[in-house]
Amino acid sequence: MLARFWHSDGFWMLRRSPAAMIAGLVAFLVIAGAVFAPWIASTDPYDLASFSLMDGLLPPVWQDGGMAQFPLGTDDQGRDMISAILYGARLSLLIGLMAMVIATVLGVGLGLAAGYYGGRFDAIVMRIADVQLALPAILTALLIDGIARGVLPSEMHGDVRVAVLTLAIALSLWVNFARTARASTFVERNKEYVQAAMIMGQHPLRVMFRHILPNILGPLLVIMTVDLASAILLEATLSFLGIGLPADSPSLGTLIRIGMQFLLSGEWWILWVPTLFLIALVVSINLLGDFLRDVFNPRLH
Amino acid sequence: MVYFILKRLFQSIFVMLAVAFLSFSLFRFVGDPVSQMTGVETTVEDRERLREELGLNDPFLFQFARFTGDLLQGDFGYSYRTRQPVAEMIADRIPATLELGTVALIISLLVGIPAGVYTALNPRGFVTQSILLTTLVGVSIPTFVIGIMLIFLFGVQLGWLPTFGRGGTVQIGGWTSSLFTVEGWRALILPAFTLGVYQLTLTMRLVRAEMMEVMRSDYILFATARGIPWRRLHFRHALANTMVPVITIIGLQFGGVIAFSIVTESVFQWPGMGLLFLESIRFVDIPVMGVYLVVIAFFFVLVNLAVDLLYIAIDPRLRVKEAA
Amino acid sequence: MKLAHLLRSTALAGIVVLGGTAAQAETFRWASTTDPQTMDPHAVNAAPVLSFLNNIYEGLVRRNQGMAIEPSLAASWEQLEGENGWRFNLRQGVTFQDGSDFTAEDVMFSYERASSEASDVRSWFAPVTEVRVVDEFTIDFVTNAPNPLFPDSIANFLILDSGWAAANGAELPARDSENFATREANGTGPFMLSSRDPGVRTTLAPFDGWWDEAQGNVTEAIFTPIGNSSTGLAALLSGEIDFIEPIPLQDVGQVEGRDGFKVIEGEETRVIMFGFGHEHEALLYSSETEGTNPFTDPRVRLAAAHALNMDAIDRVVMRGKIEAASQLVPAGISGFSEANAERPAYDPDRARELLAEAGYPDGFSFGLKCTNDRYINDEALCRAASSMFAAVGLDAELTSVPVRNYWEQLRADDFDMYLLGWSPGTFDAEHPIRFLLHSQDDEARLGSWNFGNYSNARVDELLPQIQQELDPATRQTLIDELVAISQEEVAYIPLYTQPLIWAAKENIDLTQRADNFFMLRWVSVN
Repeated sequence: MLARFWHSDGFWMLRRSPAAMIAGLVAFLVIAGAVFAPWIASTDPYDLASFSLMDGLLPPVWQDGGMAQFPLGTDDQGRDMISAILYGARLSLLIGLMAMVIATVLGVGLGLAAGYYGGRFDAIVMRIADVQLALPAILTALLIDGIARGVLPSEMHGDVRVAVLTLAIALSLWVNFARTARASTFVERNKEYVQAAMIMGQHPLRVMFRHILPNILGPLLVIMTVDLASAILLEATLSFLGIGLPADSPSLGTLIRIGMQFLLSGEWWILWVPTLFLIALVVSINLLGDFLRDVFNPRLH
Repeated sequence: MVYFILKRLFQSIFVMLAVAFLSFSLFRFVGDPVSQMTGVETTVEDRERLREELGLNDPFLFQFARFTGDLLQGDFGYSYRTRQPVAEMIADRIPATLELGTVALIISLLVGIPAGVYTALNPRGFVTQSILLTTLVGVSIPTFVIGIMLIFLFGVQLGWLPTFGRGGTVQIGGWTSSLFTVEGWRALILPAFTLGVYQLTLTMRLVRAEMMEVMRSDYILFATARGIPWRRLHFRHALANTMVPVITIIGLQFGGVIAFSIVTESVFQWPGMGLLFLESIRFVDIPVMGVYLVVIAFFFVLVNLAVDLLYIAIDPRLRVKEAA
Repeated sequence: MKLAHLLRSTALAGIVVLGGTAAQAETFRWASTTDPQTMDPHAVNAAPVLSFLNNIYEGLVRRNQGMAIEPSLAASWEQLEGENGWRFNLRQGVTFQDGSDFTAEDVMFSYERASSEASDVRSWFAPVTEVRVVDEFTIDFVTNAPNPLFPDSIANFLILDSGWAAANGAELPARDSENFATREANGTGPFMLSSRDPGVRTTLAPFDGWWDEAQGNVTEAIFTPIGNSSTGLAALLSGEIDFIEPIPLQDVGQVEGRDGFKVIEGEETRVIMFGFGHEHEALLYSSETEGTNPFTDPRVRLAAAHALNMDAIDRVVMRGKIEAASQLVPAGISGFSEANAERPAYDPDRARELLAEAGYPDGFSFGLKCTNDRYINDEALCRAASSMFAAVGLDAELTSVPVRNYWEQLRADDFDMYLLGWSPGTFDAEHPIRFLLHSQDDEARLGSWNFGNYSNARVDELLPQIQQELDPATRQTLIDELVAISQEEVAYIPLYTQPLIWAAKENIDLTQRADNFFMLRWVSVN
């Protein structure tokens, strides 16, 4: 397996180019930082008593007025930027991963079945997909949020925001998987080996998952990597449109939304620290995705 | 074939009804339209009377039935915010969004497909690595940040391009176009590029993945062995075979373009449907939101139908199946 | 950078040359965040609409640059003799923009239109019992009680031409559909509507037949709504627009630092405050208070006030642009209580003491509701306040929502503490008393924005006396007593007066009025 890693397309790229090597290292650090945020960060941005407004708007340590205590400065509330982005990336990654997994399971499952069975089932699934596509992500988020608000008592609303956002993002993404899986399944289903398996009376689930799925993994993996990244970006965009997470439990998207207010004010770090961290995180995920795709795609070996 | 199209059109009515139903069920979560329609000094009873007049106190299903009933009779209602006919408001905004979306899509295809082919054929070249990394960074920046950065670079710092709006427009029939004036094109460049970046990268990565896959398949290896010239091989055999998934995604992309145009339009103050929709969310303008979503659903249905028809045109095996 | 600089200066040179040859045409382009949603002055009682339409339509009276009332379509007015109310002597020789004459009939028609059920401004006429046309240029407004402030309260009551409205089927404001007055306008004011593309672009041109002398020189004015504040600022800095309001506080430095641009700053009359659920049986967002509402105890409310460090909020959140507030109107508004101009000092120790006295030595948690798109930096303010509350043991669970969801939640009593901004529409201290301090009374239309239902019998008694008192000194004594009560009981925690920040090119002269109305007749392009 290790040897496979070493000789893979992705790793070949890593070995050859120092830039890619650095990217790999950054990827590792960013993701590790996000995952282990509670153990690394110096302060907890969720704990209101741990920061003070009097420390607000401090620049990074290398600029005049910066303090060693806050190496990348503080935001408009006096929160340490480093702690904020580590916790923020953690939350963004969590939301992105969960949304991507939900979207993949839902989308691939429905897409495979639609492509396999065709006919009425296919038509129903695809029309549901059309309905989903016609609802912009912002509205899906509003819908899920609204339902949660209607169903749950008011004091729980704050607690379910993450789940609401995750579900909304997942619902905005599953159609890509479904349509791609379905299209590829159509093609695969007519191939001899699938026809043979079907004639031999194998269970449809077995045909779908054992025979068809591995052969359509290529495009699906591309979409998975792109979609994990876009799930994280979608979270940021929903925040920009004002329906993301509340400012006191910030994801990277929320931090960027807050930072946008300081785009021109001279406090550049409030925007650019989380933005650069987001870029690093998303680029890392994409690189990692490319790499994994090459490793796990049997046809490339 | 005709039967197929008719069947799809019939199904599309279901889609639009479902969208209308879903959107109606969520409107009460968007906010309270009456609070947004009235001033600070309006009394409680006046608010209640307005609510009654607008039919907001009626049962949900009744409101939905009234909305769809009116819609089927061609009555799109009046905006709560501006009191104008909704049909006219949306129709005024459609050209701006379609022109923006189409130009963005064309940019993404014109650049994305050749870049995808190139990077697939030269997977390890320096240019390929640069292209891949640049586009990767490009899609890793949220659209709204890209938009604002472009505005400040080209609009404020360099002063080359306008920062907002559509520039000069020309009226052709009922269609307001910005494609026939220099000012219009200047205003179009930044938003179209902003909107197209994500689609461009997706197209390129997809074409590249498919090309690489196909290039390793048996029949290409056979063809190489038979001595078919590589140019013909790449474009006639390989590229053609990548087209099914690519067309799927591109079809989907048009939907994505329309959906994403909400953000782009808001950043560039582009007077399209997305901007109208955001404004109507802000004012809880239920009639405008409802019609917008139904119109968007209609676009999606059309695009998906076109995609499916293209499949049949491209892949003969599907044609046989549909005929059967 | 050099290239950019060169390009920019060439572009500027081009503009200068153009300006030199065409000195007559002074086109003025401006932007704001919200498009006026209608051109009908009686359909929506909202600041963006009334501000815009005050350029086209006029009222009987108008406000000057210093917010004082001055004659407009009424040349003079006096109290009626023998009954309550006012007589307005109308200006003669005024014509509407379509050429028809302005008479008392138009005022009568406009009154009927604006006080009809379809109007959103009818509350202005709640005290009016009868309107009588005396002659062609005299009209009487009879009120149910002495009403010294009536002329001030109708500065935004704009007059339509009865003939024009009747000819175009716009006798009533449009409610659920549009009518002619939604997109067309015909006023007596300094500017005429020349084209309108709602949400995109609205163009105005001067009205040559205006009765008064314009102090500006604008010959064409183009308005564009730009919702995104960064885009708006970019449009100003790139020279595509001449003026924008408002700009974000934090961008003031950026605009001031650039050649050719200026920032116009002032105090708005809007006071930002926190309100409490005075009547709630229990806190909604608290687990440990168990069916009690600590905020019913004035000591707890005072503790919350002492927990807030206004200096820190001013410095970090509001960039040193605010005036701390002691009461519900800012200093300078008529009726401001000089006797009660102190606000509770920042004193966390005192706050903890008060909480302990009230039986909450460890504090408690509660829900704080805020807007995130209504007031300047409202969300940042609430976050800062939450962490200051936390420092004394008041653990605020903050929910910030867009304003479109906000009022609905407040009306449904879904809060323990909430944020509110209030601008006195009449520019008098009586206004917030009527809306925010008087007990809720739907019948009498009082206390309609008193969401937490603060209620004090003496306050309710004082309000009608204040409304009817004609002697200023006696009136002020009554107001002082009322303000003292509201401070002692901490009915609200007034925080500060919101700043007004506009930005323009250096060559634009304009006047900023404290009600945030933008008057084109005071604009000069130099």
